[in-house]
Amino acid sequence: MEKLLIFFGMALVTYFTRYAMIAALGRDVPLLLRRWLRYVPPAVLAALVVPAALAPQGRLELGLPAWAAMAGALVAWRTRSVLWTIVGGMAAFWILQMLGA
Amino acid sequence: MKDFWRGLLATLPLAPGVAAFGLLYGMMARQAGFSPWEAWAMSLTVHAGSAQFAVVGMWETAGVVPIVLTTLVINLRHLLLGASVAPYLRGLSPLWKALLALWMSDESYAVAIAEYERGQGGHLYFLGANVAIYLAWATSGLLGALLGVTIPDPSQYGLDLVFPLGFLGLLTAFLNDRIGVAVAVVAGALALLGTVFVPGKWIIIVAGLLGSGLGLALEEVERAWKSS
Repeated sequence: MEKLLIFFGMALVTYFTRYAMIAALGRDVPLLLRRWLRYVPPAVLAALVVPAALAPQGRLELGLPAWAAMAGALVAWRTRSVLWTIVGGMAAFWILQMLGA
Repeated sequence: MKDFWRGLLATLPLAPGVAAFGLLYGMMARQAGFSPWEAWAMSLTVHAGSAQFAVVGMWETAGVVPIVLTTLVINLRHLLLGASVAPYLRGLSPLWKALLALWMSDESYAVAIAEYERGQGGHLYFLGANVAIYLAWATSGLLGALLGVTIPDPSQYGLDLVFPLGFLGLLTAFLNDRIGVAVAVVAGALALLGTVFVPGKWIIIVAGLLGSGLGLALEEVERAWKSS
């Protein structure tokens, strides 16, 4: 029972982080802010991708994840497809792993 | 309704990544003394992978306040995601906004906003993406907790790469001009520096804010250049 109360607290603060800005910017978003916010997705996505590829253990390394991500980037560039990017990157990872790279 | 299924299907390629970490979460929750139902309940109510991993890791030693605070800090990045998707949701009723916020994850946000950028997004598509990740996360968490066995580290099979690869595919929607490319390169480099020197989820917020700020600044420079 106590656990459920803690989960509820966690859920509440998490929901706050998800809902606060959607509610705050719910009506008129100033044009300048809107133009700024349009660049948030590419910035956030790149910030999620690059460290996972080049520093998966927290230090810079050109290992399997880096090569898989490069293969994925090539597929992404050619196809713009999420599915094929994942398939291509994972295939590169597994093939290189099998080859003992 | 068609858009709902479109969003759900577009998110499915990310499901193996969600499932691998969901199984791992369920297993770790069991080791921390949770029953399978408790592990499941946390996924159903909180629905935030990184925070749940952190909390399960600190459960036996930490008190309520540190647990809730940790959850808050790890999830602060959602403020930025919410802000960037907010202009697309302006016409919706408060109830719809509240519903879309409820299950917004990094992954479903990325899928939804890429579709908005392509001009084909919508609230039903967004909801479909949210539901796909929610179901995959909750189900795999329960399954991992029920099995309760030690499963190998997902990164051994490269399964930790599913999300980054998916994000890479979605990133292409935003690289239509030089400014978009510059934003991605700089934000990626900042995040890399942050990861190497001061790791943590805060990197997403800082790289997101600085990268997008750079985008706006470059846009202003370009505009001034053209009008001169």
